[in-house]
Amino acid sequence: MNENVLVRVKDLKMHFPIRAGILKRTVGVVRAVDGVSFDILRGETLGLVGESGCGKTTTGRAILRLYEPTSGEVNFRGNDLASESAEEVRRTRRHMQMIFQDPYASLNPQMRVGEIIARPLRVHKLASNAREEKEMVADIMQKVGLNVNFRDRFPHEFSGGQRQRIGIARALATSPDFIVCDEPISALDVSIQAQIINLLEQLREDLGLTYLFIAHDLSMVRYLSTRVGVMYLGKMMEMSSADELYDSPLHPYTKALLSAIPIPDPPLERRRQRTLLAGDPPSPANPPAGCRFSTRCPIAVEHCRKVEPEFRLATEGHWVACHLV
Amino acid sequence: METTSLHTTGSKQGKRLLEVRNLETKFYTADGVVNALNGISYSVDEGECLAIVGESGSGKTVGVLSILRLIQSPPGRIVGGEILFKGTDLLKIDDKELRTIRGGAISVIFQDPMTSLNPVMRVGAQITENIREHENLTSRQARQKAADLLGMVGIPTPAKRLDDYPHQFSGGMRQRVMIAMALSCSPQLIIADEPTTALDVTIQAQIVELIKSLQAELGTAVIWISHDLGVVARLADNVAVMYAGHIVEKAPVDELYARPAHPYTIGLLNSLPRLDARIKTKLKAIGGLPPNLLGMLQGCAFAPRCMFATQICREQAPPAIEVAPRHQVACWHSELVSAGERP
Repeated sequence: MNENVLVRVKDLKMHFPIRAGILKRTVGVVRAVDGVSFDILRGETLGLVGESGCGKTTTGRAILRLYEPTSGEVNFRGNDLASESAEEVRRTRRHMQMIFQDPYASLNPQMRVGEIIARPLRVHKLASNAREEKEMVADIMQKVGLNVNFRDRFPHEFSGGQRQRIGIARALATSPDFIVCDEPISALDVSIQAQIINLLEQLREDLGLTYLFIAHDLSMVRYLSTRVGVMYLGKMMEMSSADELYDSPLHPYTKALLSAIPIPDPPLERRRQRTLLAGDPPSPANPPAGCRFSTRCPIAVEHCRKVEPEFRLATEGHWVACHLV
Repeated sequence: METTSLHTTGSKQGKRLLEVRNLETKFYTADGVVNALNGISYSVDEGECLAIVGESGSGKTVGVLSILRLIQSPPGRIVGGEILFKGTDLLKIDDKELRTIRGGAISVIFQDPMTSLNPVMRVGAQITENIREHENLTSRQARQKAADLLGMVGIPTPAKRLDDYPHQFSGGMRQRVMIAMALSCSPQLIIADEPTTALDVTIQAQIVELIKSLQAELGTAVIWISHDLGVVARLADNVAVMYAGHIVEKAPVDELYARPAHPYTIGLLNSLPRLDARIKTKLKAIGGLPPNLLGMLQGCAFAPRCMFATQICREQAPPAIEVAPRHQVACWHSELVSAGERP
């Protein structure tokens, strides 16, 4: 494996059973992630975008093995996580952490901030004594811009933006290499979002972190990401460097998605052509045959409805799953 | 059938439809008085789309719910101001008169279509209920009109869908049902309270284009409440920016984006990365937090976060002044600010 590859995902599938009736028999499966493959390179930020239900969050969680993947491989620093035992995974997790979307639900309301940040240090036995632990917590709090004197406060005493800083501090506690950021700013107000984004960017530079940045805000993803992947209904549709994806998208879904984002520039907005997609995304429990996007695709032909396109390299570093490009 | 009535409200932009003057709304809570609205003034002309922009807690929703007196009381109370709708002060009319206006001449589209539709009532019944409340139609005529409305907002096989329940519609389709309801009595003003926030971007684009085309076709005025400066750029004729229960800046849409004159507006525009930008300069975040509206604020509410703030800002609230035609700003230093200088 290439030296630069930190995480390699190979044909990852995550299916959730649908159970019904008194006996909770499985009556179907939701194909949340249905065979995705990609690499995350050391030091990069890989953005993952798509609409709700496309499987981007599930992909992030399955990579950290917060879910037991249905099939496929997740290779982290050369070790296959899927085949590791629970104990081995626990040890590996020190190096891979997560920042959650909801800074209200993801912090234990009964724990003080200092305890929340110290917990991962204790789990992984990273501090040799109480004094060292205290110093480490103070150091992390400083890094994320939290006042160290607030270590004995409870989460409810903080604003949304500050809580997200606590979540970031907790993720940083174990000095990880890799962090999955799952919509870390979508619960925050616009004026606070930029503060958190700048912090994440600063930390990545200072600590040499690698991010998987999951979001539906495509402007923010472009700003932050080295490369971007676009998901639709459990499949990767397109992936390339951020600038290439935004300036010359290949897949009709990416094009429609980008044209749907309004730009805060009124004269430009009036000139822009919209590619409006008809209808809603189909259910991942019953995806369409052939290309998953064929039911809403403006250029789909008969072939698209029968044969699923392969995720292939179209040009240097630019992957796409479409018969017609 | 009676479908033509939908198209009779079309009129040119120009005549004053709504005028809000010095509106003040407070909430009397156990913790103290929350000053949600501190004397806001704005107007909407016939056929105009006014966007009200602000972050959570800025008072943008309270501001428009106050128009229809939909503020829950207690704890809320409108303590001052006037709301003139075609010359009539809505704060002075009785409940019966107000009911003919609510859902009639003024209708509301709420943010979350799942919680604003009745889950145990068929959508057809929900639409016809409003129609029959305001118009003298037989149930059959009302049903036909409801079907026409669903068709107009782009719901396929509308006559069949009348008998479906809200849960049988997707999020985007539910918002279309809400729009059909809002249009049902040919309103002159539609208040849209973040109608696309809960929707995915491709669905959001569908709804924005739908409202734009309906507005052009029917000539309805729209107040669009949003925190998304992109959507506002696409839709609005004029924009009011709210902060801490005040309108801090008000201008025609091109003017506001091209020459913002309030430090908060500039901060908001600068904190957004652009979809079409290759260059990655560091985002200019607005430091600090929005103020707590509990208790009285002294001076300009934005002063603690403002890099232009001086002594006067902390002591006296700035009046709104006109810096260009139809461009008003409430800032002591708006000249310095629009010149891009630091004090």
